[in-house]
Amino acid sequence: MLRLSLSSLRRRRGAFAASFLAMFLGATILMAFASLLDTAEGTSGTAKSTLTTMALVVGGWGLVLVVFAVTSTLTLSVRQRGAELALLKSVGATPAQLGRMIVGETGGLAVVAALLAVPAALLAGRGLLGMLHASGQVPDEIGYAFGPVALTMGLGITFASATGAALITARRATRVRVTESLMAAAVEPGGLSRKRIVGAVLFLALALNLGVVTATMMRGAGTDAMATSGQADIFAAIGLALLAPLIIRLATGVLAGPLRRLGGVAGELAVTNLRRRTGQMASVLTPIILFTGTGVGTLYLQDIENASMSAAGLAKTAEQKDIETLNFVVIGMIVVFTAIMLVNTLVTATTHRRREFGQQRLAGATPGQVLGTVALESAVLAATGVVCGAVAALFTVLPFSIARSGTAVPDGGPGIFVAVAALAVVLTGVTALGTARRTVRTPAVAAVGV
Amino acid sequence: MFGRREGDHAGTNPAGRNPAGGTGEALRLDSVSKVYGAGGNRVNALDGVSLSLPTGSFTAVMGPSGSGKSTLLQCAAGLDRPTGGRVFVDGAELAGENEAALTRFRRQRIGFVFQQFNLMPTLTVMQNVTLPLKLAGQKADKDKARAVLERVGLGDRLRHLPSELSGGQQQRVAIARALVTEPKVLFGDEPTGALDTRSAREVLALLQEAVHAYGRTVVMVTHDPVAASCAGAVLFLADGRLVGQLVAPTAEAVAERMTHLADEVERQRATAGV
Repeated sequence: MLRLSLSSLRRRRGAFAASFLAMFLGATILMAFASLLDTAEGTSGTAKSTLTTMALVVGGWGLVLVVFAVTSTLTLSVRQRGAELALLKSVGATPAQLGRMIVGETGGLAVVAALLAVPAALLAGRGLLGMLHASGQVPDEIGYAFGPVALTMGLGITFASATGAALITARRATRVRVTESLMAAAVEPGGLSRKRIVGAVLFLALALNLGVVTATMMRGAGTDAMATSGQADIFAAIGLALLAPLIIRLATGVLAGPLRRLGGVAGELAVTNLRRRTGQMASVLTPIILFTGTGVGTLYLQDIENASMSAAGLAKTAEQKDIETLNFVVIGMIVVFTAIMLVNTLVTATTHRRREFGQQRLAGATPGQVLGTVALESAVLAATGVVCGAVAALFTVLPFSIARSGTAVPDGGPGIFVAVAALAVVLTGVTALGTARRTVRTPAVAAVGV
Repeated sequence: MFGRREGDHAGTNPAGRNPAGGTGEALRLDSVSKVYGAGGNRVNALDGVSLSLPTGSFTAVMGPSGSGKSTLLQCAAGLDRPTGGRVFVDGAELAGENEAALTRFRRQRIGFVFQQFNLMPTLTVMQNVTLPLKLAGQKADKDKARAVLERVGLGDRLRHLPSELSGGQQQRVAIARALVTEPKVLFGDEPTGALDTRSAREVLALLQEAVHAYGRTVVMVTHDPVAASCAGAVLFLADGRLVGQLVAPTAEAVAERMTHLADEVERQRATAGV
């Protein structure tokens, strides 16, 4: 099975690119911040606590993100190869053997990604310390060190989280029976499982709880209110993302009329696709919600903090500066990873529809009509995702604004929201249309051929 | 019910050949060739094929694997561009500067039925049949679509999805979808290739009816002598060239001819002195 893993890796570089990128970036960030622990060795006082806090907070978030991003990219690349896995099963591979193959592929990928990340992390860590020097958070005489902690944490966490993600994926992929997986899943069920509902309620309740605590108990607590409000948007975004199938159904219900009237036949096809392929559409909606929710929430959080500090005529303490840096690093990480997920999901989902596009063209659709359908679907998904993301961000923004300035609406204006939303829309639109355009270039008859 | 002018042809033309003083030529190919690859890997999939099919004819195209029969169909139907030669459908030359122009040409004059049905999996039977009309910017005439679907025996399955139908039923939906636009020529690429004997017979009967009762022109690629015997004439293709034809075929005659096709090609080559 190991030999099969290796040859499969060699032959299908494209399919693994996204997983590889997620692992490489994850390992780089993890190692760069872990090297701050090496740097902290032998220091003391504020500098030590600054370096340690940063390494641990970012390391923790990094672990969560790597598992999440690698699981999502791996699941897609495995699902893409559903027919190949079914073929292996039909020639006698047991689920355990398939599992070993998937874990083997991922392990190999993780080792290469983590090793390549070492020099990148070295540079990034050096730059990071340079930034801390420049802002005065760490005194200049503390020199950079990249040592055993960075290496063991970086390599260990990357490898462990990638393998964990592979095990989760393999379990999902191999549970399907042979005949089921050989059958083309023409219309997938997009229902809300009980697990999703329970998870969504849990995460939304958590977000609401954090919001209420921030707005009441943390009122007037200053910067400390960030501790409770900072994560509310992330939890709310995850909660809403779990409800994605339901949200798509609602949004389609609301938009079906206008889409049909204004979009013509492309609008009608977009409505049917959104209705019948809810599961697929939900997997695209998820990263849009996460991207917008966390981006908008955290950026406004820092904006409100900065505004109230300068309103009070106060200079930032070292700790407040650390928090600001952390906010931007964590948000940067989340945004980069959700962007990778978004692009990867869209490319995979759209390429997967090659046959469907071919069938549409054989029924008389011009390439322009096919792209029109894709454009309308992406518009609905991007708009829905941005609205949900904005709702998730409110869980952080409103309570923190109340706690920090006494009013619910921050003074910052809609600039940040507009910028993040525009980025989400452009990313969705450009990726979906670019991939669809490339897919449509195949002659229709070849596209429907098996 | 397949078209508006059905009365003109109904029952007059049992052999499927053009009656005297008929409405003319539905499909013409002028030395059409198709070359795949370049340099040492050049393959002449079609080598100067010329033919003319009258309106209201039912023609089967047969040949061994790799003889170019699918390429012939795809070039004639505007799904693929020939390397050389010209194609005329209903008197109009099949030429388009881009894919969109070709698509518009196809949806005005041509209908398809494929071995793998190629229905849209997310659309119901009714939506699948009205789709070509909508894509062409016409009003989706539901009554017309329902009438065609009733004609193929699926009047009670309008709201089903393709995945809820048997192969034979899906192929009948595909035929209804191909006929609803009243195309000049209906192309079938192994339309019975994925069906059981009984469903195959139903599908062939529908194609025959489209020709005999409603005056459509049908061109069908097949490897099944029984399917070919339903046509009015069979064209034999080998190595990208037309090598013979059989009018009013029987399954036995077609099978016999196919068996000796290779020898025949050898003999023709020898006499041509190649």
